[in-house]
Amino acid sequence: MLIFLLRRLVAGILLLFVISTITYVLLYFSSDGIAQNILGEFATPEQIALKQAELGLDQPLPVRYVEWLGGAITGDFGRSWFNSEPVVTALFNRLPVTLTIVLGALVIAAVLAALLGVAAAIKRGWIDRAVQLLSLAGDALPSFVVAIVLVTSLAIQAKIFPATGFVPFSDNPALWLMSIALPITALVFQLVAQAAQQFRSAIIDVRRRDFVRTLRSRGLPEREVVFKHVLRSAAPAALTILSLQFVGLLGGSVIIEQIFALPGVGPLAVLSTTQGDIPVVMGVVVYTVIMVILVNLVVDLVNGWLNPKVRVS
Amino acid sequence: MKLRSRAAFAAMLTTGALVLTGCGASGGAATGDNTAGPTGGTLSIGSLVDVTSFDPAASHVGHYMQYYQPVYDTLIMREPNGDLSPMLATDWEYDETETELTLNLRDDVTFTDGEKFDAEAVKANIDHFKVANGPQASTAASIEAVRVVDEDTAVIELSQPDPAILLYMAASAGFMASPAALDTEGIIGTPVGSGPYILDTDSTIAGATYTYAKNPDYWNPDLQKFDEIVIKPMQDVTARVNALVSGQVNAALLDAKTAPQGTGAGLNEITNPVDWQGLFLFDRGGVQAKPLGDVRVRQAINYAIDRQSLLDSLLLGNGEITSQVTGTSSAGYVKKLDERYDFDPKKAKSLLAAAGYPDGFDLTLPVNSADTIINAAIVQQLADVGINATQVVIPSTDYRNEIFTGKYSIGYYGIFQGDPWVAVNHHIGPNAAFNPLKYTDEKSAALIEKIQAGDDDAAKEFTEYITEEAWFAPFYRVNQLYFFDKTVTVENQLQQAVPSIYNYAPTK
Repeated sequence: MLIFLLRRLVAGILLLFVISTITYVLLYFSSDGIAQNILGEFATPEQIALKQAELGLDQPLPVRYVEWLGGAITGDFGRSWFNSEPVVTALFNRLPVTLTIVLGALVIAAVLAALLGVAAAIKRGWIDRAVQLLSLAGDALPSFVVAIVLVTSLAIQAKIFPATGFVPFSDNPALWLMSIALPITALVFQLVAQAAQQFRSAIIDVRRRDFVRTLRSRGLPEREVVFKHVLRSAAPAALTILSLQFVGLLGGSVIIEQIFALPGVGPLAVLSTTQGDIPVVMGVVVYTVIMVILVNLVVDLVNGWLNPKVRVS
Repeated sequence: MKLRSRAAFAAMLTTGALVLTGCGASGGAATGDNTAGPTGGTLSIGSLVDVTSFDPAASHVGHYMQYYQPVYDTLIMREPNGDLSPMLATDWEYDETETELTLNLRDDVTFTDGEKFDAEAVKANIDHFKVANGPQASTAASIEAVRVVDEDTAVIELSQPDPAILLYMAASAGFMASPAALDTEGIIGTPVGSGPYILDTDSTIAGATYTYAKNPDYWNPDLQKFDEIVIKPMQDVTARVNALVSGQVNAALLDAKTAPQGTGAGLNEITNPVDWQGLFLFDRGGVQAKPLGDVRVRQAINYAIDRQSLLDSLLLGNGEITSQVTGTSSAGYVKKLDERYDFDPKKAKSLLAAAGYPDGFDLTLPVNSADTIINAAIVQQLADVGINATQVVIPSTDYRNEIFTGKYSIGYYGIFQGDPWVAVNHHIGPNAAFNPLKYTDEKSAALIEKIQAGDDDAAKEFTEYITEEAWFAPFYRVNQLYFFDKTVTVENQLQQAVPSIYNYAPTK
């Protein structure tokens, strides 16, 4: 177990290193106009030159990269070139919002997909068809389309939920729930689609197996057979799909945060990328990679706990 | 461990239902609650931008002004119609050389940290503004120094006459912060000014909500029309229109596509033509693209563009077609020039033939990767008169920087229509940031000198000259579309993308 974790950790660090290097190099090649962006339209060439020296934009690529890497390893990602806010502070302030919706959507999608998959696999008939149709819809509709439909119907017309904004949990738990309900629903819709299908197929498959028949013949109630045994064997396939979709979820959350004006990492990522705020962009990239690595690791661990047969030792 | 997901799910649903029924009435309660009346209540504004630093030297104009105006006063105030009136400066006067501007200052103003506002404070602020190298730093370019004469008299010494200085003292360069706070890091997150409101840091979440509470010690209660101002940054227009229509904000800027939703919801609209959009003919000297050096060719380009159909299809009619780059609010505006070049491809072709290009010519056109429709329209309309434009696609994030490097002879852009001297320095004069090939000739240089001296007739003559010489091929003046609900009245601010904070009042 420990060796498994260690191996994943090392692989994760390597991945982080490779991706950050590639990103940094790509950003380097498009960093020409950044000083101009920061100083605005009226900047004189002297001002621009001064700004470039100040930010180290006139240094060669290896020097700049090593400097950034040195800081990053110690946890210092520098400051935003546009407002001097430390990158780590900017990210930490916005992480709770993004993590709430993203992880919330992931967990709810997993649970919902399991339930829908079970219902479809066991009851079959119209429920099965309904779930398949729903999955098709979820697959076809991008999260922002769902978001806009939800906002128009539930926020603007029915006035049940707020159309934009985030209320921190510490301010008002009830309003917090209201402010994240629509964004999470929009994200869940697409996630559930594929995962529900996976659960359904895997459950149908597992139920046919001999050990399930044995359990039934021992007199175990059907509910226990399904939820305690079958689901455990069927889960890995579906949860793996979910973890693979997590990357897409992070991307979708950027758009969702824009539409709902949530102060998450999304708007920060968009703004810093379009402005060319390299320290912030690198911070966002590193955070994204870490998130993906962590989620994949957790899903693997959960799979291993659910079903010892898939454990990698 | 048993997976009790079904029970857990049921529990979740029940809790959810209870929560929903409990808060059904207060759903959407995180909104601005506006009590109508002559003063008071909360004003909620949705903003296109987010403030990055409350250091006044970091302030931008346009949309950003709304973040700074509640907490910082300016030396001079610009009225909604563009007139200048006293604010921290009670009156001002030039000497005969127009290089020394004497400001008489109020003596009864204190910053929120207890520091007194005086001439030393003015000096400290302007000195800081110049060295901080912020986005508006160039507006102080002609300021050499600030001389403190006595407590309430300061003299701004200019290196040359600058007719726009008074306007700049009503904008970013004129914001006055407490000198004690100026060089501290704290000012980035916490403004210390003398303005009508104070930033309520407890109710402020950076990036989401900025809450400004009434300043009880403010020297001009007439400007305090609300008890509280809340500004929410919403970069996405979908978020803004949803927030407006659902009542979460009282006012916000929309665009041509979302405007119908605002009108449909019964909101009020005011329009403000702040920018013009069209083609910059950088290479009017014909250095890189020889044909552009001939005025007939440049005029042909003007005749080749079907401005009205572009306005109707791209901006849904929200604007005014024009042939001049000078805005209606400028002293250099000449009404009849709006229609100088109508849509006449035949005339364009005959002009090209007269200039020696009966079969047209080739031209390199840089295009913004995000503007696919207008690029196609421009290429098509130029091709219709024989000008073969080869597109060079530039990523939208680099576009503005790229086209003004001097590599290109022509480029499409939208730009601010300022007062004559502002416009000269902005995109018309030989040293303007947006005139990369630095074209100049004798006649324009002579007129520019007169404009610098404040000669309005020269400004009109200049507009006539550059329109006749077709230095540009403007398409239209674009309307900013500002929407607000029935609980507030709002007035446009001249030459500003969104209204100044002072222009909002509760509906009587």
